[in-house]
Amino acid sequence: MTALSHTTEVVDPVPGAGAPHLPGQPPLVQLLTPEGERVEHPDHSIDIGDEELRALYRDLVLVRRWDVEATALQRQGELGIWASLLGQEAAQVGAGRALTAADMAFPTYREHGVAWARGVDPLQVISLFRGVDAGGWDPVATGFNLYTVVIGAQTLHATGYAMGVQRDGAESAVLAFLGDGATSQGEVNEAMIWASSLSAPVVFFCQNNQYAISVPIERQSRVPLYQRAAGFGFPGVRVDGNDVLAVLAVTRAALAAAREGQGPTFIEAFTYRMGAHTTSDDPTRYRLASELEEWKLRDPIARVKAYLSRSGIADADFFAAVDAEGDELAARIRKGTLDMADPAGTEIFDHVYAEMPPTLAAQRAEFVDYHASFEGGAH
Amino acid sequence: MADLRQFKLPDVGEGLTEGEILSWLVAVGDTVTVNQPLCEVETAKAAVELPSPYAGTVTELLYEAGTTVDVGSPIITIDVGGDGGGSTSAESTGSGLIGETNANGRTAVLVGYGPRTTEARRRPRRSGTSAAARATAPQVPAEADHGSAPERPPLLATAPDVTVKPVRHGGLEIGRAAEAHSTRDVAAAPSSAAAPGRGALRPLAKPPVRKYAKDLGIDLATVSGTGPGGVITRADVDAARGATSTPTGALPGSSTGEQRIPIKGVRKHTAAAMVSSAFTAPHVTEFLTVDVTRAMKLRDRLAARPEFAGVKVSPLLLVAKAVLLAAQRHPMVNSSWDEAAQEIVVHGQVNLGIAAATPRGLVVPNVKDAGRLSLPELATALTELTGTARAGRTAPADMTGGTITITNVGVFGVDTGTPILNPGESAILAFGAVRAMPWVHKGKVVPRQVTTLGLSFDHRIIDGELGSRFLADVGALLHDPGVALAF
Amino acid sequence: MTETLTIGKALNLGLRRALEDDPKVVLMGEDIGRLGGVFRITDGLQKDFGDDRVVDTPLAEAGIVGTAVGLAMRGYRPVCEIQFDGFVFPAYNQIVTQVAKIHARSRGRLSMPIVIRIPFGGGIGAVEHHSESPEAYFAHTAGLKVVAVSTPADAYWGIQQAIAHPDPIVFLEPKRRYWEKAAVDLDGEPPPLFGSRVVRGGDDVTVLAYGPMVKTALQAAEAAAEEGRSLEVIDLRTISPLDLDPVFASVRRTGRCVVVHEAPVTLGLGAEIAARVTETCFHSLEAPVLRVGGYDTPYPPSKLEEEYLPDLDRVLDAVDRSMGF
Repeated sequence: MTALSHTTEVVDPVPGAGAPHLPGQPPLVQLLTPEGERVEHPDHSIDIGDEELRALYRDLVLVRRWDVEATALQRQGELGIWASLLGQEAAQVGAGRALTAADMAFPTYREHGVAWARGVDPLQVISLFRGVDAGGWDPVATGFNLYTVVIGAQTLHATGYAMGVQRDGAESAVLAFLGDGATSQGEVNEAMIWASSLSAPVVFFCQNNQYAISVPIERQSRVPLYQRAAGFGFPGVRVDGNDVLAVLAVTRAALAAAREGQGPTFIEAFTYRMGAHTTSDDPTRYRLASELEEWKLRDPIARVKAYLSRSGIADADFFAAVDAEGDELAARIRKGTLDMADPAGTEIFDHVYAEMPPTLAAQRAEFVDYHASFEGGAH
Repeated sequence: MADLRQFKLPDVGEGLTEGEILSWLVAVGDTVTVNQPLCEVETAKAAVELPSPYAGTVTELLYEAGTTVDVGSPIITIDVGGDGGGSTSAESTGSGLIGETNANGRTAVLVGYGPRTTEARRRPRRSGTSAAARATAPQVPAEADHGSAPERPPLLATAPDVTVKPVRHGGLEIGRAAEAHSTRDVAAAPSSAAAPGRGALRPLAKPPVRKYAKDLGIDLATVSGTGPGGVITRADVDAARGATSTPTGALPGSSTGEQRIPIKGVRKHTAAAMVSSAFTAPHVTEFLTVDVTRAMKLRDRLAARPEFAGVKVSPLLLVAKAVLLAAQRHPMVNSSWDEAAQEIVVHGQVNLGIAAATPRGLVVPNVKDAGRLSLPELATALTELTGTARAGRTAPADMTGGTITITNVGVFGVDTGTPILNPGESAILAFGAVRAMPWVHKGKVVPRQVTTLGLSFDHRIIDGELGSRFLADVGALLHDPGVALAF
Repeated sequence: MTETLTIGKALNLGLRRALEDDPKVVLMGEDIGRLGGVFRITDGLQKDFGDDRVVDTPLAEAGIVGTAVGLAMRGYRPVCEIQFDGFVFPAYNQIVTQVAKIHARSRGRLSMPIVIRIPFGGGIGAVEHHSESPEAYFAHTAGLKVVAVSTPADAYWGIQQAIAHPDPIVFLEPKRRYWEKAAVDLDGEPPPLFGSRVVRGGDDVTVLAYGPMVKTALQAAEAAAEEGRSLEVIDLRTISPLDLDPVFASVRRTGRCVVVHEAPVTLGLGAEIAARVTETCFHSLEAPVLRVGGYDTPYPPSKLEEEYLPDLDRVLDAVDRSMGF
């Protein structure tokens, strides 16, 4: 109770420089202010062309459009559930675009923006939330692992994968995604210990969106998360998670360091989950509207649009074209979702093992017989 | 042209069953677009706006604000006629739309993935495919052989169409095919060290039928089953009971006092062995009555010696020794007929069998290589052998491999008999009661300790002369144990 | 070439051969490198194959298994040593929610050729958490395979077969039998990994066991023979999937079945086997399938473990009860 009231009464003295509800926040890396001003940072800079800037803007808009459509589809009963990324587009697009083709990403279940950056078709992500499968994409081909729902488990997978990269002598790095809540998990701490003591080429990318469903960050940590990295023996950095340029710059640098054998980095992308935890959640029960309003001022897309307009890198036609592309994408997602066929019942058996044991084969045969015994054919 | 679509209340949470319409955001006559909010709904979990899945004109609001509606109930009707909604895919898909019933007969697809309504009745089945029909199908292959005929319900019997190839990796063959192959081998051929002969399959019956047969004293092995797959039914047991009843039709345990004892265990084994022996080996039996007074005196002297402290020096011990000594002189009596090989096997050692009456029936344990034992050792071995047999604890190994047998019928007070050969052996000696009889001794009729020996032998191997010489030697040794010095 | 080996040494040689045969094999565990493992199963392997392939890990079981997942995704064949059965539970989440499910989650795109070696069972007079039999937890989880070895030959071949297998395998080693010796033909043809085996023929009662209890069952069969009873002993060898065809064939002859394991009886392997034997051999059974196992208590302090563990007499008592029906 005290935590919540405490967090919501504080006024943000310098917009963008810290969390409004967390007083005395340390500085974070920012290259584009919420108002769309390019600023410099002593340790982090980015050399980026106009085309790449426009492409980042397009990514941000399309990812958000996808997210909005998916939320609507859930409300219409077409998806069982949807985990919205609203507000975290910059953190995800920035991190996703920092990866090279040879890198590997290990997402949680909300990294739709990273999936987009890795070239995963939105419908393959949708299929998970529709209940058709557990995600239809090829993790190896896309360099993007399947979503992992158990909190933090994937950080160990990422570390192990990085150990493999090490043994292969490959020029690759691994990006492990996690949330603020996951930092309380033992497995995440184990992953950071392993990565550190083995100098594994893995970067931990933590989107601190301030809430683990309803529980605020203060319940997870009494120190800013990025400072934990020092305890594990590697660098930690807090970046404005709503600033796609800063995220891109910081993540690129961390991945490069990993590839060069300098070991892991912990990136805390300071952001905010604008929507509910999932479509089954009601955030009005645990946070105040004023908090949401404050974060709306730091919208990750608005600042890029302001910068592009003001600097003349993009014009109204460009923005309109991107919006139209968004609507096309939404229509394609809608149609693709509604067209998505239910899988065959025998799918539940077919991939449990690489070599199906005779016992399971017998169950499968029984299943087929059972369903074939009904009039009207097998389900 | 009107094309009316209804939007049913979806499960907007995980597993919700109802929601309250807080307010309508559209009215009848309004034109709506896809994803335009239609109403605000409060569920147990959250208050949410429901976006329209259709583009078109609202023709009807089916509930007033403030009403609680079950998930799956239509709440609004939208006319998507003309080109309404043409720009979205919602209408073009046909199936999969909210509320439409799938062709497969499943409960109508509720929107969302909450609890599905199900009906409390069975779905129609194709004929002959009910679970009951499967259950009555034969469960056992008629000619089930050891290890390779799984008694599976037929619905599991069909191999699924799954291609799983054995993988070779690091020189090891692994995979399902490899496993199946070798499993069969393992089952069919357990290591020779581990497996003696494997018995017959159990007769098939349900537990109550088993109990019924047991109570009636009927061995299910003697009953033929008429149930599916040869399963023995209660009626089969009744039929078997009728067939084996006495002509008077007296029931077991009835007033006639007749008792019916199931033929099983040792009794059953013995019966089979005796039948086999009696009808395989042509038996010849010879008798010899002997004055064994000296042997009995020798027995008393031996019993007093320290070597025999704690062991029983019985008449049987001396007979055993006599047989061993005589067999040494006539090795052919210690032999077997190998029908398959068309050979006579003359054994290198004497495994001396002693037929023992036990509460469970006749058993014939044998003393391995008895010829090598000293007399005290032989005495100990015989004592242990018979003691173990009477206690019913004879190990199977002790009952196999016998080469010649003595049956001590004298302990029952009879004089002699015509013993049947222990299967696989060529000679068996019956040792009758030793009793004081009038006997011509040194020209006078005096009371002497006399016994009668009866020797049966397999006439295929042992002719009359050999049998007679062997029997005479045994008799001579018992008449005058000192003769042993001459052997 | 035939050598007389302990189970421990057979495992060591099997691991060595796997490391030689496939450069992607990586051994991971606590104290397995310089020390050679607390049971010396990995003795000398780090010296010969280097610390990249025989990894002394941080002391974190979830980490051992979780990083093995990532290594497997990268094409490696990790072999994880869990130091003692009771320490597998910190890794339980990774084993059950990840290792077991990733092949299905990825619809077969990702294989998890991971071996998780666990010395299991009691009888070594140890302290708490060092004597447990957690096999049922893993056998209950789809996506895992579970095997238990009982002889040096099975240890030698089994560990190599498990490492070569494409699915994740929990490989249970009977720790109190690590020092039991037998001849192993190092060049012979290995028996299939996922097959049970008749290890002693008999006609009266079928006795099933795996891991450390196989020896107990064989001793019980010897004692029973003295009493004129003939027990058929089957070493199950594979716990998931179960290979029960030889069991069914045996029970059709004997009509009686006793299952022996150290793990508590309630919802143990014996319960599953009893159900399957009853389903399949219903008409042949002369007696209900009986179970002999640990009591439904935590594994006791070592001074009481002999009372807790199934022994020859408890097995023979079950045989007597079976014969009494």
